[in-house]
Amino acid sequence: MNCSRNLIEAYLDEELDPGLRGTVEEHLSNCRLCSEAHSRFREQQSSIRSSAPYYTAPAQLQQSVHKALQRAAANETAATVRSAPWRWLAIAASVLLAISVSWNLRQPKFRTAENELVAQNVLSDHIRSLIGTHLLDVPSSDQHTVKPWFNGKLDFSPDVKDFASQGFPLIGGRLDYLTDRTVVALVYRRRQHVINLFTWPSDASPVTESHFSRNGYNVVHWTYGAMTCWAVSDITITELDQFQGLYEK
Amino acid sequence: MIEFRTSTQTWKERGERSATNGNRRSYSRGDAAASDACIVYNSEINPESRLRLFEEIILPHLNAAYNLARWLTRNEHDAQDVVQEAYLRAFRFFDSYKGGDGKSWLLEIVRNTCFTWRRREKRNLATVVFDEAAHTSCVSPPNQEEALVDAANRTILQNCIERLPEAFREVLVMRDLEEMSYRQIAEVAGLPAGTVMSRLSRARKRLEKCVGGRNMESDK
Repeated sequence: MNCSRNLIEAYLDEELDPGLRGTVEEHLSNCRLCSEAHSRFREQQSSIRSSAPYYTAPAQLQQSVHKALQRAAANETAATVRSAPWRWLAIAASVLLAISVSWNLRQPKFRTAENELVAQNVLSDHIRSLIGTHLLDVPSSDQHTVKPWFNGKLDFSPDVKDFASQGFPLIGGRLDYLTDRTVVALVYRRRQHVINLFTWPSDASPVTESHFSRNGYNVVHWTYGAMTCWAVSDITITELDQFQGLYEK
Repeated sequence: MIEFRTSTQTWKERGERSATNGNRRSYSRGDAAASDACIVYNSEINPESRLRLFEEIILPHLNAAYNLARWLTRNEHDAQDVVQEAYLRAFRFFDSYKGGDGKSWLLEIVRNTCFTWRRREKRNLATVVFDEAAHTSCVSPPNQEEALVDAANRTILQNCIERLPEAFREVLVMRDLEEMSYRQIAEVAGLPAGTVMSRLSRARKRLEKCVGGRNMESDK
């Protein structure tokens, strides 16, 4: 593992899964710099918790909130009584609304919104990996080096393939944290461009592949067996599709 | 249906988390997390039961609401106004609460109320002057030297957090004082979890620098 301030903080905040936690702990016991940083963060956190004021609601606020709520509820009761003749109309309207809402939920639109969010995360992660120093945990073009490196760090084993002969050489991989879980990021190169391929097991029903474009970056999403895959890069969508085709073979 | 299932799962994960983490500052009226799980909200129930349900699920987070509002507004009276308004809004929109984490749901409303409230205030007041005297710690120490040093540290810490840009201050308060998870903070602030992480990191870096600088000043 490389030194990573982000990982140390996520470790401190208890946001890592057990596998990664173990890796970080091991690293902390070997790396003086990181273990110093870790104690500094821990000290800061405990000093915030013990010394920064936690403002509790004054008693008078509790009372006034309670009173205001009671008034609001009383107004509501009055309004319900006044509008009794309209009640059936209101019920009919809410039934219609409920039908249309549940219908919308069934539509792929709902899933699309969720995917949009993942796409956003994937894209931010891709950009972070390029800005920071943490692009590769295991820099190797050999799939037989990259795949075993993930052993014991994850609860799944990713499919690692090299497409050097097709113009998409594998340059390595790293562990990453995305959508609240640890995922594999495989890194490929296309000419001077970097492709991040994020993959993790997902029990969500297979989705049709989808494309997203934002700020000059392209994101392609597909499922491969029980795995969810997200490829992101600044290469054209056609090239990214070609890459997806290779990986799925 | 889909949505409900998702929120139940989310609750379960949170429940586990808060069981390990503990929430030492939660208001003691009933176990909010437990009642979050059982709620099946029905908009046809009468206003009184609705109020009862609301008071059971949302009211216990009053301290969290006030703490966030107090740190965002940096002022006691404004925080009280914001919290009161937020609670009324929350009650009005209680239909949109679909079970799950009541605290995150409420804090999102508190946060938005802070912003609309500030926009309104800005129209009323051309400039807002940062009042040092109003922002010192209200804790009065016993007359011991140690307590004095302690109080000085508190003031430094409080001032440094208050001086953080708001985007950093809010994630720091939610993480380190409210002990919320990245996912909960992301939900409240409407940000991707990655952004929460990086803002938190920058907040801590700035705070460290600020506190370090102040301590050196006071050592002189």
